[in-house]
Amino acid sequence: MKLELSGKTVVGAAVAIAAGVLVLYPVFYLVQASLDIGSPDVRPPEAYGFDNFTALTQYSEIMFNTVAVSLGATVMAMVFGFIAAWILSRTNVPCRHVLEQLMAVPYYVTPLLGAFAWSLLGAPESGFINQVWRALGGHDAVINVVSPFGIAWVMALFEGSVAFVMIGAVMKSMDPALEEASQVIGAGRLRTMLRVTLPLVAPGVLGAAIFVFAEMLGSFTAALVLGMPTRFYVVTTAIYQLVSQYPPRIPLAAAMGVSLFAIMFVMLFLYRRVIASHSYVTISGKAFRPRVTDVGKLRWVLFGVAVFYVFISVALPLMTLAYASVQKLAVAFPAAGNWTLDNYRTALTMNAVRSALSNSLLLGVATACIGVVLMGLLSWLIYRSRVPGSGVIEYIVMFPQAVPRLVFAFGMMWAWLAFPIPIYGTLWLLLIAYITVFLPLGIRTISSVMLQIDNSLEECAQVCGAMWAYRTWTVTVPLLRPGLVAAWLLLFVASVRELGASILLMGPHSKVITPAIVESWFASSSELTAAMALMQTLVVALAMTGLLFLTRLASKSGAA
Amino acid sequence: MFNTDRTRRDLLKAGAALPFSGITLGSALAQSPVRTPSKVLDFLTNADVAKAESEGQLVFYCHENEAGTAAIMDEFAKDFPKIKTSYVRAQTGALYNKILSERAAGRFDVDIIQLSDIAPALDFQKKGGYETYASPEANAYKPEYLSDPAGSFFWTGVTFCGIGYNTVKVKGDEIPKTWKDLLDPRWRNALSCKISSSGLQFVQWYTLRKLYGDEFWREFAKQRPHAFDSRVQLFDRLAKGDDKISSTADYGGYALFKSRNADVGLVTPEDGLPATPLIVGMVSKAPHPEAAKLFVDWAMSNRGQTFYQNNPNLIYGSLRNDAPPMLTGARLRDFKLLFPSDIADYVASQPAFTKEWNGMLGL
Repeated sequence: MKLELSGKTVVGAAVAIAAGVLVLYPVFYLVQASLDIGSPDVRPPEAYGFDNFTALTQYSEIMFNTVAVSLGATVMAMVFGFIAAWILSRTNVPCRHVLEQLMAVPYYVTPLLGAFAWSLLGAPESGFINQVWRALGGHDAVINVVSPFGIAWVMALFEGSVAFVMIGAVMKSMDPALEEASQVIGAGRLRTMLRVTLPLVAPGVLGAAIFVFAEMLGSFTAALVLGMPTRFYVVTTAIYQLVSQYPPRIPLAAAMGVSLFAIMFVMLFLYRRVIASHSYVTISGKAFRPRVTDVGKLRWVLFGVAVFYVFISVALPLMTLAYASVQKLAVAFPAAGNWTLDNYRTALTMNAVRSALSNSLLLGVATACIGVVLMGLLSWLIYRSRVPGSGVIEYIVMFPQAVPRLVFAFGMMWAWLAFPIPIYGTLWLLLIAYITVFLPLGIRTISSVMLQIDNSLEECAQVCGAMWAYRTWTVTVPLLRPGLVAAWLLLFVASVRELGASILLMGPHSKVITPAIVESWFASSSELTAAMALMQTLVVALAMTGLLFLTRLASKSGAA
Repeated sequence: MFNTDRTRRDLLKAGAALPFSGITLGSALAQSPVRTPSKVLDFLTNADVAKAESEGQLVFYCHENEAGTAAIMDEFAKDFPKIKTSYVRAQTGALYNKILSERAAGRFDVDIIQLSDIAPALDFQKKGGYETYASPEANAYKPEYLSDPAGSFFWTGVTFCGIGYNTVKVKGDEIPKTWKDLLDPRWRNALSCKISSSGLQFVQWYTLRKLYGDEFWREFAKQRPHAFDSRVQLFDRLAKGDDKISSTADYGGYALFKSRNADVGLVTPEDGLPATPLIVGMVSKAPHPEAAKLFVDWAMSNRGQTFYQNNPNLIYGSLRNDAPPMLTGARLRDFKLLFPSDIADYVASQPAFTKEWNGMLGL
């Protein structure tokens, strides 16, 4: 017993220290920068004060824009995500496995892709849809995505698709007997969904909502592509300009980033209050087989809803980009001389892109493998270990989610430059950066499933004499499998498409792909960007297919 | 019509306080160990080429777009295949902060830096960031296009802007002819410019303010311009009709989109075209010093300058005395360029520009 206690303690302490170092070390430099009122070029700061925070009052409109768009996008993403997850996890719609894979595609692609594709489709003057509309005799614009609503729409479709993955993982872990019992006593399908399914997946939904809201606060590309043409700024696009200009106003940007954490702090506090007041256990000692509900003829309606979602979030954007990528200047009605394959030739011959793509895939696999272990242990530490201070750890690991990565990257750069081991400028730094900034993603995904598992299962193993490590491996981990697999895939994808931190932390020999694509949009051409984004999507899709195949193979051999 | 001499004289008139004036190359050469230049390919270098090749690497920090930066490195590597090139690119502000942070932490990984604005280059020089290297190719440049003292950096090219317009939506008498035509209310919400991180935008603000006074930009702000990061974004929107005109339409962007048969036109107002240099220099404590020197010579040479002028992702006019024409057939001297006449005043006015520009854009 004594040995077991010390084993748990050692692992718990090691994990807590690792998370603390990963997050608090750069946070120290970030907070230091936010209080820097001396010369911006001199480090460490010459003088300290709160001037940068008081200066934020000048940016109240931008703060309001940020919160308004983030809230709108979060609500849309959660509604889309919940309905889609319910349809594909809990009902017997046709082709649900294929649709399930397609639903998650928006999250696989670079965040620029969706915004870029929808700007090609829905810009008031040049948008393909509006060009077709006018060609058919319409006037003005039938759609305008270059607006705050358009930004929230694109953010919800592409950056909010993570909500579907997170809620889906929770729904798969839910005992269907509870829904069946509801229907047996006369409740309809809608009532069962609202009164049984929704409350049972509440921690997952809440966790996902907090995560998605934080993701929206830090969202960059949709606001950049669709907001700048109408002078609509959010915190991230403002920060981008503040750090790009000369002299860069990094202290002010750091103050903006640190302030966002205050909003997240409140959200996280509410979340903890909610999950502390109820039990959300759906996996107990009683055995169950995951089953779907037969929804009768309604399944064709639900199938239509799912297909429509996949069409607007996956098929239409990808077709648009494919159409744009084979033109010299992307228009709805190209002349014969406008067609070209040069964009693909250029993309394929860029050496930097080829090495960046392989680096991104390598980092994706490494981040996902290390991340799942670390974040799984952290989830256990926060929600299961009952050690004092576990709540504090949760607040700490949420910090990277609250601060836009563009700003957090400065903290990491200063921190790891000063670190005695020379990892700066290497892929190791990017690996550390990715694990750090994706701590909230992994923990949120795994913990939503963990909260559904009754402690009695582990306690039973303990009574039978199993050591902590053994019962974790043989009881908790198998029950957590949907959450762990979802976390692995999310971490892999999130790493491959990461932008904000990579821009600053890439070294001359450690390039990754997404910044190259965004750069291409800025400074090469929309058409080349479309070609590069499609190539990245294809490579990620192939990698994901391979990984899913291996996962299934492993689970089959495990079952055998 | 065009008189660059006047602007160069203006630079000289500003006196000894001006960093670009009055310093001869000879004084800089005197500071460096005397070495007989050798000819490599078709240019002269003071670098030890064998040593540069044995160093085997060159690390380049650059403000330029990804494709342009990669192309510069690829072209240099084509000429010197034994030197493996690598680069980091970022916007000038972030890039400059990055290199300062690295150096403060004792990291010296960079050999060459290229910046899009003279202000950080002067600051970097003041901080001792540049290595002094007197290139034999510097003789082909006027002193005002070199650092003061010569040897820290040089102007590897110039970008300049006129008024861009969509040739389908803007026709005949509507086409602006002068800078003041930008203030016509018909362009309200239909006009684009660049964001405050653009060196070219800063120069335009400075030079046109000198010509027309502060009122010009106050009136311009009423047009509610849309601001973007790069010339590609400006011309892309112009070509597709999302904006009708652009106040900061640079020549390289125009040439690029014209080559794609886009519906864009460029007006070059008689009062002159705001112009800004791209600054290249060898960094002190460079880990591959001979390779860095070789690159400086290559970039200054007609060979490098021809590449900077002709690559579609760059298209920067060369300031060499014997520069060949650009891809369009035009030479830099065919245009009346407006450089800041008082560099000290120009650099000092940057905070005012940033504040005014960001305020105008709602930032």
